[in-house]
Amino acid sequence: MTFLLQQTVIYTVPLILVALAGVFAERSGIINLALEGIMIIGAFVGAWFVRIMQEGGWSEDAAQWLLILALLVTAAAGALFSLLLSFSAVKMKADQTIGGTALNLLAPAIVLFLVNIVFQQNTLNLRYDAPSWFMLFQTDFGFERKAKLGLIGDLLLNKTYLTTYLGLLLYVVLAVILYKTRFGLRLRACGEHPQAADSVGINVYRMRYLGTSISGALAGIGGFIYALTTSNGAANGDVAGFGFLALAVMIFGNWKPLNIAVVGFLFGLLKCVSACSGTLDINGDGVFLLAQIGVSTYVYNMLPYVITLVVLAFTSKKSRAPKAEGIPYDKGQR
Amino acid sequence: MKKDKNLTLWNDGTKTVAASLLSILMGVIFGGVLLFVVALALKMPLGSAWEGFRIVLAGVFNTGRNYDAGSALTFGFNARLVGDMLFRATPLIMTGLSVALAYKTGLFNIGAPGQYLMGTAASIIVALSMDTGAVPAFLVWLLAFLAAIAAGALWGCIPGLFKAYLNVNEVITSIMTNWIAANLVTLLFDGSRFINNVDFGKTGYTLKTSTNGVATAKLGLDFGGGNANAGILIAILFAAAAYVVINKTTFGYELRACGSNKNAARYAGMNEKRNIVLSMAIAGGLSAAGAALYFLQGDVEFYWHTSMTLPATGFNGIPVALLASCSPIGCIFSGMFMAYLTISGSQLSTFTAYNEYIANIIIAVIVYLSAFTLFFKGLMDKKKTAPGRSGDAPAPAAETAGKGTKKP
Amino acid sequence: MSENYVVEMLNITKVFPGIVANDNITLQLRRGEIHALLGENGAGKSTLMSVLFGLYQPEQGEIHMDGKKVEIRDPNDANALHIGMVHQHFKLVECFTVLDNIILGVEPNRFGFLQKKEARKRVVELSEKYGLLVDPDALVEDITVGMQQRTEILKMLYRENEILIFDEPTAVLTPQEIHELMQIMKSLAAEGKSILFITHKLNEIMEVCDRCSVLRKGRYIGTVDIKGTTKEELSRMMVGRDVKFAVDKAPAQPGETVLKVSGLTVPSRVHHNNAVKNVSFQVRRGEIVCIAGIDGNGQTEFVYALSGLEKSSAGKIELCGKDVTHCSIRQRAETGMSHIPEDRHKHGLVLDFPLEDNLVLQRYMDPRFQKGGFIQREPIRAYAEEMIEKFDIRSGQGPVTPVRSMSGGNQQKAIIAREVDMNADLLVAVQPTRGLDVGAIEYIHSQIVEQRDLGKAVLLVSLELDEVMNLSDRILVMYEGEIVGELDPKTTTVEELGLYMAGAKRNAGGKEAAAS
Repeated sequence: MTFLLQQTVIYTVPLILVALAGVFAERSGIINLALEGIMIIGAFVGAWFVRIMQEGGWSEDAAQWLLILALLVTAAAGALFSLLLSFSAVKMKADQTIGGTALNLLAPAIVLFLVNIVFQQNTLNLRYDAPSWFMLFQTDFGFERKAKLGLIGDLLLNKTYLTTYLGLLLYVVLAVILYKTRFGLRLRACGEHPQAADSVGINVYRMRYLGTSISGALAGIGGFIYALTTSNGAANGDVAGFGFLALAVMIFGNWKPLNIAVVGFLFGLLKCVSACSGTLDINGDGVFLLAQIGVSTYVYNMLPYVITLVVLAFTSKKSRAPKAEGIPYDKGQR
Repeated sequence: MKKDKNLTLWNDGTKTVAASLLSILMGVIFGGVLLFVVALALKMPLGSAWEGFRIVLAGVFNTGRNYDAGSALTFGFNARLVGDMLFRATPLIMTGLSVALAYKTGLFNIGAPGQYLMGTAASIIVALSMDTGAVPAFLVWLLAFLAAIAAGALWGCIPGLFKAYLNVNEVITSIMTNWIAANLVTLLFDGSRFINNVDFGKTGYTLKTSTNGVATAKLGLDFGGGNANAGILIAILFAAAAYVVINKTTFGYELRACGSNKNAARYAGMNEKRNIVLSMAIAGGLSAAGAALYFLQGDVEFYWHTSMTLPATGFNGIPVALLASCSPIGCIFSGMFMAYLTISGSQLSTFTAYNEYIANIIIAVIVYLSAFTLFFKGLMDKKKTAPGRSGDAPAPAAETAGKGTKKP
Repeated sequence: MSENYVVEMLNITKVFPGIVANDNITLQLRRGEIHALLGENGAGKSTLMSVLFGLYQPEQGEIHMDGKKVEIRDPNDANALHIGMVHQHFKLVECFTVLDNIILGVEPNRFGFLQKKEARKRVVELSEKYGLLVDPDALVEDITVGMQQRTEILKMLYRENEILIFDEPTAVLTPQEIHELMQIMKSLAAEGKSILFITHKLNEIMEVCDRCSVLRKGRYIGTVDIKGTTKEELSRMMVGRDVKFAVDKAPAQPGETVLKVSGLTVPSRVHHNNAVKNVSFQVRRGEIVCIAGIDGNGQTEFVYALSGLEKSSAGKIELCGKDVTHCSIRQRAETGMSHIPEDRHKHGLVLDFPLEDNLVLQRYMDPRFQKGGFIQREPIRAYAEEMIEKFDIRSGQGPVTPVRSMSGGNQQKAIIAREVDMNADLLVAVQPTRGLDVGAIEYIHSQIVEQRDLGKAVLLVSLELDEVMNLSDRILVMYEGEIVGELDPKTTTVEELGLYMAGAKRNAGGKEAAAS
């Protein structure tokens, strides 16, 4: 059970962050289909940065500082990459779906092109094992190796990553920014009714650039966290549709942070079950319940998308999608 | 007067082609610059970047090196590579047609990868499961091809139905159906008898359909024993048929009307909901047919463990269609061009320190730029309709219609 | 310069491609007055106000405030100069609360965090002071149009604007709401605010305004004191000497009934009420029946239900003796209905198609134009040439001209040609002359009369009083989704018609009232 929840949290944190990345772009009025591509870039830049630092002799004792630094670097990379989308959408008033698709094609191509040239193989690996460097154990928090912490304690203080705490903190900060600050109010106005925002002196173009850049930064971070916590920090130009899954979380979550957290956890759980259904011992009694049920892992994999489709079918009329998303704003047309 | 008319039409067509050529040019230049930048950054010899660039430009006509790895590249007619290009172009033309047809109806078919996967699965399963001892191989081929189309059409229907009856954006639903397809197809093959367990060490691949004697006819398209076959002719036929349907039939007229102005189509009594569903179904069928033409070639294996990835050929239908400005005939050429780039990419891996992904980069840049082409063309249109040329006051209807606002 | 003007717009000229929207216009606003800006559709009122609000830059002319020259480059500049505007289409974010909408752009904040408490207090104070009752915590999408307008006014007051522009504020309001708005405007003026009131409704001007400036076809006609003038004089200034487009027509000779609508009810898409309530009437051969009314009183929904674009919830539509209530759009067309739609760009035309394809938009499946599902290009082209000739449609490249590149008047002619040539028993024409120049209007009116004289039944839906009075043989007035009166254009006056349209008068069922 503990293992299941631990794994679920590991999937959930990047999922929620990337879904929020989608929210920040779409609430400003830009459809960001490129979440997947930006994650790929984030994973690549983050992994490469860590590898370079490791090769440069960064001490394992300061691993957590390296992680923080890497997160900042991936955020910057993601934001930079997303500028391609906002430039095309805001300045060129191009179709945002095509722009996003282009970035999704571009990201893996660039990553694989460079990784193959620089490392002569399809994958960029860290110099040293990611879990051994970055994973936090209860001993790191001053508990004895053998101490029993209970379910919650295990969940929070054992076999976890710093990114989990940072991710949760970031989630709260982002939700507050969206609803409690001047910036959030203005951002949401631009996604709903840019003409109204413009008429009260808000620079819609600027807000859309900002929204998309925040989105890019978050998706970049999400990509790196995903690579670090699920694939040992390796970057291979692929995040296995995680960005699209986040998009589904955002839609199912109706563009609202609270719902997104719930849906993100649900989808994270499904993802986790599908990843380890064969070896999962939920109650710790030596019975592999899920394996015995015999449902294929691909069914669990598929479920989030099926659920989102069903939800869309029933709630299409009540959808809270930002009204002006996807429509280029033209200052000349009022 | 007559002359004038032709001139303007010609100009418009030229503009479209020019815009596509411009994106191609900029994409290729970007790729070239990237090669040199990488060479400089990684202290590789600049000569290798120059070789790489030449392969990007003319990879299909690369005939290898004369002597050893140190000698110069030679170029000339390489039948095998040209054949490969035709073979690779086949599914690309089909997915391009799929995206183009949907686009004519105002739909963005980002679901082509999922439809392609469904077509792949259906064609391979039918081709491998029917006994060619009892049924003629040709008939099995045909049934497999039709099964693919049916599966793809079904898969295309789903976003179409959501769009028509629930007004849910087809891009969103297509993304969902893509990933459902990826897992569904993996599920179908997982543990099935279609998996290749014969060659030791090969996991995750299906059997070739030729193991059951099913393969697309060559029809004399040999090209030095390469992969080319009659599939490319079928794809060209499909393109021609799509051209006729879209431009010459009442059905195509309805589809185009729905695509340009859904409200006007409805006002004129057309059943726009039915047309949306049909258009997506046909688009799905085309993508899937492309998959069938690729995998029924007989000699290719399908990596069935695809739950984590979507086929690039599906997504590449988007650049094929965009480069062709959604003209079916244009898709033949843009599909060929994309295949040309892909071949160049693989040549790059074989002969230089670079790799095939440069082709994907160039394709991505072209897609990115083609979004601007639409913008530039829109700009030209806008200038043409400057209000009040004949003394009319600017019509209020023009102002509201232009914005695409959703006010009821 | 005269010291008592708070705003002076001097010799403003604003040119759009092909049209001079404002030609050397001067407008002077006194402090504390309500100043009307009067003019017909397209007279240049909105353009002039957009210049003042910084949305457009004039080619010539200056703006002075309190005698000093000012530059207004965008709405922010206008705001800084305490100029506020209530736009005709409200600039409100629907899923925000009233309070959020009011503070948007000038949010009170501490380190970027919103401080709504004080803002709410101020909004409540302001709304009490001026009688602008709105719940600050309600969502804009949940409140009435009148309340949304009050939110817009509060937005200006919250920003301490001194010059308030109201762009056609009454078009969307109920009579009660209009009355309340007039009171609010008076109390604002009494507080020293200066108000510019854009309208083409004379009664409202007479009721609240101090002075009135009149524009006609982009030109400044004059400014008058309301106390020393009459509605008739203002009307003359607004429309010029040749007041009416005279329509030559013989008296109607109605024949049998073509359209019979009974008890038709249509639910609204925007609110929970019905948009059309229990509407019944008939249209006979050889007569033009006009549905008159102020915009937004259910005419659009009624026409949608009649043509089949939208479903009705109750009632019956009979066309040529056949019940078509549940028929598809195409079945209605085949039974005998042609429809000139209200919005020619939304419904009437496929702008990217060439002219010839637009001319066969409903008839492409006619055996004449297709064989076995294949479009027959040559007959279509020949037909298009014929229509272009017959209806004098001006297009650069003949049948293959992209409709998008044609002028509004010729686009409308193309629609008229298509619909008239369908030779249907009933012609429904909705706002057929909207946004067109005089020449095109005369042409379209003559076409409609000709159809009547050919024995067709014509149902005209119009917002233009002149059009209603001159063209129709019978007038039905629609108010809040109901037919509130039936009038004879020969015996009624524009003033009376106006009273019906404003809901001030009604004769239920029409005929009884006419008899009494």
